[in-house]
Amino acid sequence: MDENEFAKIYGEYLRDESRQVGNAESIVFPKSEAEIISSVKEMFEKNIQITTQGARTGLAASAVPHNGHIINLSKMNKVTGARYDEKADRFFLTVQPGVLLSELRKYLANKSFIVHEWDDKSINAINYMEKAQWFYSTDPTETSASMGGIASCNASGAKSYRYGSARDHITGLRIVLADGDVLSIKRGQFIADDNIFSLITESGRVIKGELPKYKMPDVKKNTSGYFNMPGMDMIDLFIGSDGTLGIISEIEIELNKTQEVNWGVTIFMPDEDSAVDLVRALRHEIIIDNIDLQLNPSAIEFFSHNALNMLKNQQATNSAFSNIQEFKDSYHTAVYIEIESDSNDEVWAEIEKLGDIINALSGDEDNTWVAYNTINLEKLHDFRHACPECVNMQIDSIKKTDNRITKLGTDMSVPDNKLKDAMKMYNEGIEENNLNAVIFGHIGNNHLHVNIIPQNMDEYEKGKELFLIWAEKVAAMGGAVSAEHGVGKLKVPFLKKMYNKEEINEMRKLKKIFDSAQILNRGTIFEFEEDEK
Amino acid sequence: MKIIICIKQVPGTNEVKMDPITNTIIRENVEAIINPFDLYAIEEAVRIKEKTGSFVYGLSMGIPDATEMLREAISLRVDKGILMTDRKFAGADTLATSYALSKGIEKIGEYDLIICGKQATDGDTAQVGPSLANTLGIAYATDISKILEIKHNKMSCLKITDDGYEEISVLLPALITVVKEINMPRLPSIKSMKTAKKAEIEIVTFEEINADENRAGLKGSPTQVRKTFVPVHNVNNEMIEGTSEEKAQKLSEILLNLRTDVN
Amino acid sequence: MASINIIKNKCIGCKRCIGACPFGAIEIVDKVAVIKENCTLCGSCVEVCKFNAINFERDKIESVDLSKYKGIWVFAEQRYGKLKSVSLELLGKAKELSDVLKTKVTAILLGHRVNELCHELIAYGADEVLLMDEEWLNDFNDHIYGEVIIDLVNKYKPEIVLVGATSKGRSLSPHISSTLKTGLTADCTGLNIDKESKLLVQTRPAFGGNLMAEIICPNNRPQMATVRPKVFKPLKPDYNRKGKITKIHKPPVEGFVKLIRNIDNSEGLSLSDAEIIVSVGRGIGSAKNIQLAKELADELGGVLGSSRPVVDIGWMPYSQQVGQTGKTVAPKVYIACGISGAIQHLAGLADIETIIAINADSEAPIFKVANYGIVGDVNEILPLLIKNIKEAKITIDKSYIEHINTYP
Repeated sequence: MDENEFAKIYGEYLRDESRQVGNAESIVFPKSEAEIISSVKEMFEKNIQITTQGARTGLAASAVPHNGHIINLSKMNKVTGARYDEKADRFFLTVQPGVLLSELRKYLANKSFIVHEWDDKSINAINYMEKAQWFYSTDPTETSASMGGIASCNASGAKSYRYGSARDHITGLRIVLADGDVLSIKRGQFIADDNIFSLITESGRVIKGELPKYKMPDVKKNTSGYFNMPGMDMIDLFIGSDGTLGIISEIEIELNKTQEVNWGVTIFMPDEDSAVDLVRALRHEIIIDNIDLQLNPSAIEFFSHNALNMLKNQQATNSAFSNIQEFKDSYHTAVYIEIESDSNDEVWAEIEKLGDIINALSGDEDNTWVAYNTINLEKLHDFRHACPECVNMQIDSIKKTDNRITKLGTDMSVPDNKLKDAMKMYNEGIEENNLNAVIFGHIGNNHLHVNIIPQNMDEYEKGKELFLIWAEKVAAMGGAVSAEHGVGKLKVPFLKKMYNKEEINEMRKLKKIFDSAQILNRGTIFEFEEDEK
Repeated sequence: MKIIICIKQVPGTNEVKMDPITNTIIRENVEAIINPFDLYAIEEAVRIKEKTGSFVYGLSMGIPDATEMLREAISLRVDKGILMTDRKFAGADTLATSYALSKGIEKIGEYDLIICGKQATDGDTAQVGPSLANTLGIAYATDISKILEIKHNKMSCLKITDDGYEEISVLLPALITVVKEINMPRLPSIKSMKTAKKAEIEIVTFEEINADENRAGLKGSPTQVRKTFVPVHNVNNEMIEGTSEEKAQKLSEILLNLRTDVN
Repeated sequence: MASINIIKNKCIGCKRCIGACPFGAIEIVDKVAVIKENCTLCGSCVEVCKFNAINFERDKIESVDLSKYKGIWVFAEQRYGKLKSVSLELLGKAKELSDVLKTKVTAILLGHRVNELCHELIAYGADEVLLMDEEWLNDFNDHIYGEVIIDLVNKYKPEIVLVGATSKGRSLSPHISSTLKTGLTADCTGLNIDKESKLLVQTRPAFGGNLMAEIICPNNRPQMATVRPKVFKPLKPDYNRKGKITKIHKPPVEGFVKLIRNIDNSEGLSLSDAEIIVSVGRGIGSAKNIQLAKELADELGGVLGSSRPVVDIGWMPYSQQVGQTGKTVAPKVYIACGISGAIQHLAGLADIETIIAINADSEAPIFKVANYGIVGDVNEILPLLIKNIKEAKITIDKSYIEHINTYP
């Protein structure tokens, strides 16, 4: 199909949440792995590049096609089986890549699955579900994200502070390779021998290779380029590979048991320093007033002063946000924590101590919101989620004045001891360039989203330059340029600040082992070789 | 000023799940919450208190467990919680409830304003507020969306109606029921929760309110539930066929026949 | 004191009563049912027990002399001299009930300069109109109207009083019932006469409509109920019907609440308040075609909404976006025009009673959730639909004009 014609009919499939727009000539919506294989084989023969899509909620433009063919996995949206390990009391589900997080949550909440295509073992496993309430801990803000997308960018979300990222809960993958061959990997099945790995495809082909030499940063959240470590489990190479090594056709995820008690507390501090000190106290890095705080939050989140101001403005002027909680003008910076436990009394005893710590840090325990039931917790979630939504809306309206402007949000993480340095770096950069920016996100893992809201193309360019400078500094701090969104196409330049040319080339070499013609998600994580020349 | 809020404990969800085999109701682990509309009543009273230095009572009639709910009300800055609890109150319909509450309010003594939520989410009747005011012989106004001014014996407010708003003037003491437009309820803070944990909830029994047994509880309730059943919803999934004209004709008939609340 | 008790030697612990209890107030302890403290004495458990092991002990209640109460009353709500449709709907229902009870239907009409409405009330089913046409009744007032009606009830003793569950009706009727110390059932969706007892059986939703309850008021009179608009259908008006009009005069009653001014809605409803939403998606084709959807929304008294792509291209403002990143809406009727139904959009439609979808693509996911679907070009269907609805409306308006001409 001609590009223009394609755009007219399938225009929405040329975009994703990054607000980037690409182009393509054809698209398929496979309903099974066999249909993926046949489409991949066809493209392989014709040497046409393929972009894989899930729910297109990614922020790094991985799903935005750069010419060629699109394989959209939204119709592969079944939960295909379950497995219960009685000895270890562990519960697993196999899902197709198009299952949405919101759908999965609904199935789990109702403990109700469509099972008519399941085998007996799976159906039997479901009976064990009754023993407890199970949940999937990876919680990106956008609940319409697909499971395939979550695996491809190694997504995480707020609760990763306690539960880790997507990687930590994926125990099996089926991957359609660029030539149509299939790789089925269970965690623990293929372990690299130091830096030599060997995999066997379903057709019996042995794929052997050498792992790159680059070292990954020592941070809790990282999805910047291929996972690489001597002696690694090879399943980890594919998680977070942004669809560049193969197309995920099935995922086995591990579930966690839900704890009975779930509290949220939003704490408003009088300035940013005291807010950061509070975070450090919550991470047990500092002890305030000899108070022995035992609290272990599952999430620690941050709202900068500007972020709160933005919410306040939107609340007053935009009906879409009129329902978020009102807050006092004197509230400067906010920290949000979530706590899971088996006992309300235990949580409360810790919250009482937290109140004393807030007071000791020149805050006021009255300037807090405590949510101990689902209804109020929802209100705190809405308040948290309003941040990215406000940013998106403002970008959308600026985009109308100049459509070259897209979202400018960072996704970098640094080691624990560099948190204050990173905050300083962000604030100074914003101030020096006289930009309007809001900071929010997962401060517990030193992973903040800095969102610049440019008023014009000039500011947009300035912001982009600033991001490159930050990427370089973050890399120097031993941090990661992408912590959860993936490198995608947008952050290719950032990754170059983190790894040198040779190291990027190692990644390319690794890709070529699985995708010799480089037809899969070309231009994602690193440029296509020929483009570079 | 003295302000009394009437608070009801309701189930946190209205979802009634049916067991398809036994055709009975499944109601497991439903958390009990403050009637959501009462939260607006509490917030409005607290806002008046913050402006004028009033004292706010939270009054509820319910099972002994409702003390925890009143504690929650105190964490929302209500000053004192009073729970009327007695088996003799059980089975009350809106009339008997109004009567019992009026007796509880008489026990509190003088007051200037009673605020109730527009209705309770478990019954949706919106009757207790007006009935209570009438039993007490005071003025009432329902569906208040804004209090404009409070003077010593009068208040003016906006009332939502089907046709828009009415600006009204109400003689005090009075009872108003409030809608969600009136304010945005605040959440408890660590400090207010600490206060609530220490608070004492006053328990009032039937004997203490000097009430007529014939007018309270099931005995004082003119209405009786004869039967309850789960409604059957047919999910109609109909494709309208025909020429464009026929399709439009059929759809317009459907639209005109749909029973909506639109006047 | 009334109580529900388990007869221990009859109870076998079958748990049937647990399933029937809407309040979760029964548990099984040592294989015998136990009634917990949160029992509301609703009695739902009693009839499901197959072993007669549940005893509902009611107190003896002295009832009023029921035989003195006769007739069905309908409160005729009017504003600016125009009757509310719900009052006409109630007259139709009252007529049906009166046929069973072999009694008559009386409309209670209060206001100022409203006497011409009497004929309309009779045309819609009233056998008699009790009319109070006074200047001091010009503005509706809960207290004043309530006191007037209480007086009338005490004098004429109707056995049933029906009131529309409008904002005014819902505020007025508890005033009346609590003074008369009788029962009042709110928001009924069904009204029937029990064949044996001749009692009014009032069906109403409870727990947000997830459970239905049948309510009776056996010992007190009148039996009072409010009914939501559009639940019942009005009779076809018969302007040749004859009825009695009784004019009543009374000295003015003083109220506690004074109306200062009316602020009628002029601007449109917001998306989240709308009962009807006509929503457009990319399938609408161009920005100018949105006007068609707007026209349909106006004709139906609804509000215009949109899917995300339409907002993204700037055809509609964000405030009108429906869906997960926009608003979750809860209208009664949702008409999706050219919306394919991305999951994010469908997620915003969870609680809608009736979804109507018009889309050219028969495979569009929206059809899976739609109650009524039309496969076709939105820009062809919409103009036809608007035309049909306009015509239907004219027919209704004409009948109004005609009868006004007949009965000046």
